[in-house]
Amino acid sequence: MKLSLALRSLTAWFLIATVAFAAPVAGAQNVLVDKSEISFVAKQLGVNVEGRFRKWKANVVFLPADLAKSKAELDIDLASIDLASEDSEREIRGGLWFDTAKFPVAHFSSTAMKELGGDRYEIAGALALKGVKRDIVVPIVLKKDAAGNRVAEGSFTLMRLDYNIGTGMWSDTKTVTNDVIVRVRIVLPPAA
Amino acid sequence: MMRFVSARYSGVAIALHWLTVALVFVNLTLGLSMVPLPLSPQKLQWYMWHKWLGITVFIVICLRIVWRANRRPPPHASMPDWQRRAADCSHVLMYVLLTLIPISGWLYSSSTGVQVVYLGLFPLPDLVSKDRTLASVLKWTHYGLNSALFALVLVHVIAALKHHFIDRDGTLARMLPAAWTRSHS
Repeated sequence: MKLSLALRSLTAWFLIATVAFAAPVAGAQNVLVDKSEISFVAKQLGVNVEGRFRKWKANVVFLPADLAKSKAELDIDLASIDLASEDSEREIRGGLWFDTAKFPVAHFSSTAMKELGGDRYEIAGALALKGVKRDIVVPIVLKKDAAGNRVAEGSFTLMRLDYNIGTGMWSDTKTVTNDVIVRVRIVLPPAA
Repeated sequence: MMRFVSARYSGVAIALHWLTVALVFVNLTLGLSMVPLPLSPQKLQWYMWHKWLGITVFIVICLRIVWRANRRPPPHASMPDWQRRAADCSHVLMYVLLTLIPISGWLYSSSTGVQVVYLGLFPLPDLVSKDRTLASVLKWTHYGLNSALFALVLVHVIAALKHHFIDRDGTLARMLPAAWTRSHS
């Protein structure tokens, strides 16, 4: 009885410690990862093929009243890609595509956020992918879901060959288009 | 020397039968050779052609079913009752398999998240959504149905040749083009 009580309080302390340790710093807001998604779509021989990333981390501070202090950082585990088959996932981790052994993570870091009016914003930042860093602009729309969570949805077109993704026999854009539409859906809890 | 020449299948039925033979032969060969290939643009191309040919088979089979429903096939040559029943059964089964195989392939493609766009022009709806487990089930269903068809076609061919060369009852000639039959009789 005593032992189980001790075990329980130990578990409780461990849980508290874990939560405290995992809590983000510097006013970052917890992204609801289960509700969020980073996906993409490209055309393969004229047919839309979709994919997404199973594992990624985001650190977001979004203050509509103070966009200068707002910040978005994303780390995407490229090997966690979800595609049509295991065969194609293995291929895309390889050297001709992401080369995840050498470049495991894609990193996005915002540099400026701009309000466009009517819940629309523009996030400018740098995307580092496979050793190439380029400036991108992601337009987003901010909505609220039924639970009051803040949902930011946006998409941008990434030219895969700009980042040397799909080289060699895959460089022909008739097989896989150069344009890849990347869709981002980030869900934040209600503003405090 | 023919002992008995029965009425023949109609020209349309004969044409559609041999068109099916050609399409299925090419697509089976394509299917079996593309699967073990390492992933490459060529493999993707072959998969796409395989899907297009498969949908073509489906269309041809639909035409054949409509044709068959509206035209009685010629009567069987004289043969034991069980053979007649076996022939009818195997024909129905081949129609069923030739309908189900393209459908299973189409669903399999959808379950891997790749929509089928026939000839690059006509998108077929995705009746199932992307699902790894379902994809694996559909893949083996597609393979299993094809194996059954292969076995059935083997019996079909052996039976046709037996009727032609051993029984000499004109069964095969019913399904051969008129010109071929004339030049060989």
